[in-house]
Amino acid sequence: MTDSEPVNLEIMIEASPETVFEFFVDPGLMRTWMGDHAVLEPRVGGSFAVDIGNNHVRGSFVDLQPPERVVFTWGWEGSDIVPPGSSTVTFIFEAREGGTLVRLIHSDLPTGEDFRHTQGWNHYLGRLTKAAIGDDPGPDPLEVGQGMHDQPTGES
Amino acid sequence: MPDFDSAFRALADPTRRRIIELVAHRGMTAGDIASHFRTTRPAVSQHLTVLRNAELLSERREGRTRIYQANPKTVDEVVQHLQSFWSGRLQVLKRQAEREERQQRDRQ
Repeated sequence: MTDSEPVNLEIMIEASPETVFEFFVDPGLMRTWMGDHAVLEPRVGGSFAVDIGNNHVRGSFVDLQPPERVVFTWGWEGSDIVPPGSSTVTFIFEAREGGTLVRLIHSDLPTGEDFRHTQGWNHYLGRLTKAAIGDDPGPDPLEVGQGMHDQPTGES
Repeated sequence: MPDFDSAFRALADPTRRRIIELVAHRGMTAGDIASHFRTTRPAVSQHLTVLRNAELLSERREGRTRIYQANPKTVDEVVQHLQSFWSGRLQVLKRQAEREERQQRDRQ
């Protein structure tokens, strides 16, 4: 839980922690801000599955402390670099004057430096090689960035 | 964003795949790399150029020699994409949660 985690963001939201928390456990609310299909089983070990276009996020809930905190694992179906369940997303909701400070930490992600010293590169190479010789390597995790441009459903 | 087309084309060649395997975990000079192949040194140099252009290989200078190593930058790009993905999602979450809160207040 330090700034050295690869993805570490925060945002102030003018809504109570209770309201914000619901957006992580209710599939209908989840779809308003992330993905177009969600299967959420909000209990420890329950499924966390969100489809964002062709990118299928797969993981499971690790910790739920309504309305203060939710932790789930995160990965993409078919990805060698970030396979299902391989990284961890922590959301912390702190009640503040006028709303909630939302903190996001996405940890356990591979970085180039770790990757060089693990089997990661070989997996990635295998994926590229498959594609080079004409096999479908499956969904590309790098395409997830395109999800940013999707308009969420239910927005006016 | 890496150019995946050129990466795929670069790796369609078995010699180039073998070169990437050789330098996956340690840097090597062009001479070291060439010693693993029967092909000529200029042919190996050509392969190195193709791999460098596809950003699969990085080159650094140590004194007068050039060291080649597989480039793990692509992985860092996953992290960068996630960073921008999440900051976009958080903005939408903010709008939606604030709207939900206002609607709840109006219902009361």
